[in-house]
Amino acid sequence: MRPDARNGGVGRTGNQFPVGMRVLAVDDDPVCLKVLETLLRRCQYHVTTTNQAVVALTMLRENRDLFDLVISDVHMPDMDGFKLLELVGLEMDLPVIMLSVNGETKTVMKGITHGACDYLLKPVRLEELRNIWQHVVRRKFSNRERANIDGFEECHRPSNADFDHAHSQITCGSPDQSGRPSKKRKEYHSEEEDEGEDSNGQENEDPSAPKKPRVVWSAELHRKFVAAVNQLGIDKAVPKRILELMNVEKLTRENVASHLQKYRLYLKRLSHQASIVAALGGSDPFMHMGTFEGLQGYQAFTSSSGLSSFSPQGLLNRSNPTSFVIQGMAASRPIQIATGNSTISHSIGDANKYHLSLPGNSRQQGSVAQGLTTSVGQVQLPQKWIHEETDDLSTILSVNGLANGMPGTLPNVTNSPLLQQDLVECRQAKVVIQPSSSTSSDRLEGTVGVPSSLMDSRASQQSGLPLSAFSTSALPINGSFGSNGVAELGVTSSGGTNICASSHLRVARDNKVGASSFGSVIPVSPETAPSQKYLSFGCGSNSRQNMGGGNADRLLDSKLVWSSLPTSQPPSLIGSHHLMSQRPNNGSPGARMIGQTTASDSTAAPQMKVDVLIPGEMLTPKDASDLSFPKAQSELSSSSCSFDGLLNSIIKVEKDDASFSDVLGCDFYSLGACI
Amino acid sequence: MAAAALREQLNTLISSMFASGMVDEQFQQLQMLQDDGGTPGFVAEVVTLFCDDADRIISELAALLEQPVVDFDKVDAYVHQLKGSSASVGAQKVKFTCLQFRQLCQDKNRDGCIMALAVVRNEFYDLRNKFQTMLQLEQQIQAQQ
Repeated sequence: MRPDARNGGVGRTGNQFPVGMRVLAVDDDPVCLKVLETLLRRCQYHVTTTNQAVVALTMLRENRDLFDLVISDVHMPDMDGFKLLELVGLEMDLPVIMLSVNGETKTVMKGITHGACDYLLKPVRLEELRNIWQHVVRRKFSNRERANIDGFEECHRPSNADFDHAHSQITCGSPDQSGRPSKKRKEYHSEEEDEGEDSNGQENEDPSAPKKPRVVWSAELHRKFVAAVNQLGIDKAVPKRILELMNVEKLTRENVASHLQKYRLYLKRLSHQASIVAALGGSDPFMHMGTFEGLQGYQAFTSSSGLSSFSPQGLLNRSNPTSFVIQGMAASRPIQIATGNSTISHSIGDANKYHLSLPGNSRQQGSVAQGLTTSVGQVQLPQKWIHEETDDLSTILSVNGLANGMPGTLPNVTNSPLLQQDLVECRQAKVVIQPSSSTSSDRLEGTVGVPSSLMDSRASQQSGLPLSAFSTSALPINGSFGSNGVAELGVTSSGGTNICASSHLRVARDNKVGASSFGSVIPVSPETAPSQKYLSFGCGSNSRQNMGGGNADRLLDSKLVWSSLPTSQPPSLIGSHHLMSQRPNNGSPGARMIGQTTASDSTAAPQMKVDVLIPGEMLTPKDASDLSFPKAQSELSSSSCSFDGLLNSIIKVEKDDASFSDVLGCDFYSLGACI
Repeated sequence: MAAAALREQLNTLISSMFASGMVDEQFQQLQMLQDDGGTPGFVAEVVTLFCDDADRIISELAALLEQPVVDFDKVDAYVHQLKGSSASVGAQKVKFTCLQFRQLCQDKNRDGCIMALAVVRNEFYDLRNKFQTMLQLEQQIQAQQ
């Protein structure tokens, strides 16, 4: 038979390669499926068929090594073909060919950007199917190339795994969270799902030398990617060209395509949200960032927005669609309440919600640990982290005292691990914001200074704290200056994100960040959880904080709070500061925190704050004595925690830079909050 | 020689289907698949699948279009599916009418959709009659061999 002869000729790989290639065909239409199956068999492939995408996915997950290629219809009732495509691409890295009667450019483009290696139009012709084996070869070939760069992967894998865990955690929460059925969200959800599953897959795979390594989009890589996209123009950027421009060996076009698609989604999302806020929030999901960073970003934003002319609600609402954002929301809202209320009337709605939730927190605080654990339930690994973090924190704290010399600033940063450098670079290079630059440097100093010392003395994880602070600072900056450009923001934020992804350090940072930022969230989340779906997220993050907070946080918190108090002296700003400090404090079960909060309340002139503080007050009674300012200040000076350093630096900046508008001030505060 | 006569009849039928544009080269390819590939009954199987499936879809469409509020998305999905299966079997005319149908559906033109459905149905019934005749002829030929 002719086809046979041809196949034999084609199969240069030996082994008669294309013959017996294992193809999974998915189509809900029995006619198409039958024809397709017959055609594939005619090509002498080994064909498995199913008329349900879900079944296909199950088959692939259970026997990922039993298939070389997937051919899927685009329109299927149980699962959109694009979704299947994405899931398959993320989980098994199999080449997927999309199939549809619909040949509109838009649809085809969607398929390609979702990572399809080919897009065939129905009716499929035998000639086309005879050629599809090339996708398998191509994929294998690129994988082999990648495998040669083991070093690269080994470096990144551990963190990656951790990171995935964090992500999966997020995922758990996400489904509940939004009542918003938007399509975007749905896509999102699916992505998250992938991630979660992917992480599992990774774990399983790890021991047995994964055959299909996954590309980690490090800060560096992403920066190149964004540079390439910007050069081409987002609309004209196609994976192949991007890949050429990036000129990175181990990358495949599919990797880029998938990344590009996420990036586009992310940009799209951005355009829907307030530019700055959107950028921060959006970046998280896109990058698969840890939740925490997102929170930080959001906190920063919210706080800043509150003070500035931004309407926090608008931001918040918009952000809701994405799960990540939601996390951010939870965290940010409290801040808003405190900070924003005075300024913005819009925020009141949110504030009310939070008020409601807050009381609950106060009650729960007694049993904070319990609440945390329950909420955390889903996430297992994170807890480990938390423990580790806690230890680290305590140690770090002690170290910090030494490190407090804050001035280390940029130099330190450079000295610090590559990742940090990346961040710094990203910021400076990408973030065009001039006014902030000075500010940022100050922040960096504070934050960075600690990290370097930590880094040296401590393991990678320890560094996490300082790093987190660092990233935090970076985020706020972006947020404040967000006005520059969405793309830029994305880059910056992504830079931060990337960092998280790659190594332990990153993870640590995230955790820390999460903890710090979440600290604020924590109080809210427990209560919120019942009422709203965000809670799950918040809880997860919160749990971490609590964990970490338990040991070290107390110290940190108290100090932090104090530092914030002095800051509070500046009129309007004070409110925000307090809030910021409070949150971290809240995270830790310690009564001091509460007391501090209360103290800040008293100090804080704005009435709005009161609402926020209320929870704290409930708790406070114990520590009321601690509230006195003098003590606080002294503590500040004495305690050289990195946080204090940050706060101080921030404060200084504020004072020094009268030119900075309220917004900037807010940003700074957001930093403090992040801390 | 009844078999030869039957075969002749079958060929005539199929050529007329091609000539009238009822089926296209895709159908031809299916036949080639069957004849070259040693998969007897393949065309019959696909054609039967198609007829059942299309029949089902058409009644679904009729039901949908009778609703007080027409869910055009659903209609569109069904038409899309019908288009896919008719394309796969090479039912050219049905496929073309599906194209128009989809357009009307996207315009949310209910009356237009109802008319389009009627056209699709007619085309499909025509085709199904031919297919049934074809299958009967093939069966008779098989029986004679």
